[in-house]
Amino acid sequence: MNKLLFALFLLVIVSGSIDAQSSINPDISLIGTFNTFTNFIKGTPEYGKLNFGDPEMELFVDGYLNPFARATANISYENNTFGVEELYGNIVRGLPFDMQIKAGKFLVGFGKLNTVHPHAWPFLERPLFHQVFFGEGGLNDVGVNFSFLIPTGDVFTNLDLGIFKGKSMIPQTDSNAIDHGINPIFVGRLSTFWSLDDYTNLEVGLSGSYGAYSKGNLILFSIIKNVDNIETFNYLYGGIDFKFKYAPDSYTVLTIQGEGILNHRTVPRVDFFGVDNTTASSKKISNSGFFIYADYKFQKQFSFGVKYDYTAGILGDLPTFYSLSNDDKNSTQGFETWFSYYPVEETSVVRLGLQHLIYDYDDGTSRPAETTIKLQFLFSLGPHKAHPF
Amino acid sequence: MKKIILILILLIAIVSSNYANIKVVASTTVIYDLVKEIGKDKVAVDFIARGDQDPHFVEVLPSYMLKLRNADIFFRIGMGLEMWSNQLIDGSRNSSLKVIDLSTDIDKKEVPNYKPDASYGDVHPFGNPHYWLDPENAKVMAKEIYETLASESHQDEAFFKKNLDEFNSRIDKKMQEWTNTMQKVKGKSVLFFHASWIYFADRFGIKTAGFVEPKPGIAPSPSHNAELVQIIKSKNIKTIVMENFYSDSAPNQLAQLTGVKVVKVATAVYGIKSVNSYIDMIDNIVNQIIQNS
Repeated sequence: MNKLLFALFLLVIVSGSIDAQSSINPDISLIGTFNTFTNFIKGTPEYGKLNFGDPEMELFVDGYLNPFARATANISYENNTFGVEELYGNIVRGLPFDMQIKAGKFLVGFGKLNTVHPHAWPFLERPLFHQVFFGEGGLNDVGVNFSFLIPTGDVFTNLDLGIFKGKSMIPQTDSNAIDHGINPIFVGRLSTFWSLDDYTNLEVGLSGSYGAYSKGNLILFSIIKNVDNIETFNYLYGGIDFKFKYAPDSYTVLTIQGEGILNHRTVPRVDFFGVDNTTASSKKISNSGFFIYADYKFQKQFSFGVKYDYTAGILGDLPTFYSLSNDDKNSTQGFETWFSYYPVEETSVVRLGLQHLIYDYDDGTSRPAETTIKLQFLFSLGPHKAHPF
Repeated sequence: MKKIILILILLIAIVSSNYANIKVVASTTVIYDLVKEIGKDKVAVDFIARGDQDPHFVEVLPSYMLKLRNADIFFRIGMGLEMWSNQLIDGSRNSSLKVIDLSTDIDKKEVPNYKPDASYGDVHPFGNPHYWLDPENAKVMAKEIYETLASESHQDEAFFKKNLDEFNSRIDKKMQEWTNTMQKVKGKSVLFFHASWIYFADRFGIKTAGFVEPKPGIAPSPSHNAELVQIIKSKNIKTIVMENFYSDSAPNQLAQLTGVKVVKVATAVYGIKSVNSYIDMIDNIVNQIIQNS
């Protein structure tokens, strides 16, 4: 599979270079990211050393299929592996009710930030609750999304409704999860945009998602003796998001953005009463997460910002039935700050960031806070689209 | 009762005859003003990029998509200036929107005869798109606008033609005045901030001594400023002309070092308070250059 993707990648590059000026060729752009970092986490091999991360790449191929539809492919290279990050078609006009349909594999619109590729974020680290509730790569799934404009006069209001395979919701390492492919998930978002004045804009959104994140056969827990049924574990996410931007001139932009999630789900619980007295049952839990950041760009070439994160779950724990999004006991907080330098427009960025993580265990377990400093170099080769709000 | 119905019909006829029946969105305020000149009250027109905004870089706002959603026609400068416009058009979901590129009949300048890439800066592969700064090109744009509006509303063709002729006549009259005024600087060298002045400079016989940007779209650098100091001194340059949405930090440094005057002008309608039409805009540019040369 990797060889096939690599061959596809070469084919795209070669075909693009044959006649880069042809108007019928799609746009091809390549984003490269290179990270160096050090941390102050005692006991880790990276402690206090200059560490070099493997380079990462995203290759975008994007263009019109016909006057009504576009198609996009995003092939990624991360951890020395090629993968299809996104591959979708998008009918943008000509449908009844001015609907737009997007089908394939793509970043799902739960909240606003999830649909934005990480290279376009002003900060370095994915929000903690995205990692816990959506996974390391964000909410990225195979499915179809229907987008409608709601007639609200001069205010832009959009409703997205989507149905997805639900693969991104399942903890990949959970050996107890079975038959998940036949349980689609539903995702929706209602967003409204206001231009407050010529220089100030605000968008507010409400998101929701419902589905089965796993089917578990509790008997698979070898120590459990008295449960033998397969149970479906459902979740319900509610989300709220906002983005505020003030750009008084071409050189200065203040962005404040935040998102929150409320998670309500059924989870399996195992109670131990000794080797022969263990019971498993399902239980409803609620937990949450949110982030908020402010980024101030000045003189067109510099920006700095701060971000605060909170999420249920202990970041970095393996996703199993008993951790991450099923965890209503423990939590993680994050503080991040960054300084970015854009030498020439946004074709390249040098970004220095610091993240400080604090863990809070319900049972009183003591774990020292962890600090990581990262230096990132990011470049963008080829045409890049104008920034959507 | 019959009288009332008759009066109502007459009222509706009067109102509908004065009602702006073509909805137009212009990518820039210059096009907006030209559409107003030709369409007058038969056209409802709005714009995307503000006059004090760099038209190269416009954020894709949902509110702009709404403007295009309700429009019949979208006029744009073209030649790659509004790289953001296709995203707005897609976002509008308006399948009946007519998109008109006003550069079609323009005599294009600085079309690269090489393969342009990012090492040349922000070079436009289809040529320099700042053609509206030549008043003669405003007439070409106005003609394209007239033809589009006339094809959209045949019954108003004569009205649009009359407005076009009046506009051209005013431009011709002003052109004589501008040409006479600019005689003072004809043949002289001027430093520009961005490579957007070729059409204006050629029209009025100004020599381009160089640019404050080392390459189009590339921020000024100390080493380039040092080169410019030599150019300003050797060519006895009196003026740096720049758009008012760019930072004047580097030009002001040059002014401190050499005594050259920095002229910040609006290159779009409503770019500054006193510029409320295309003619105002050229008036302002011409006067500012003359006063500071």
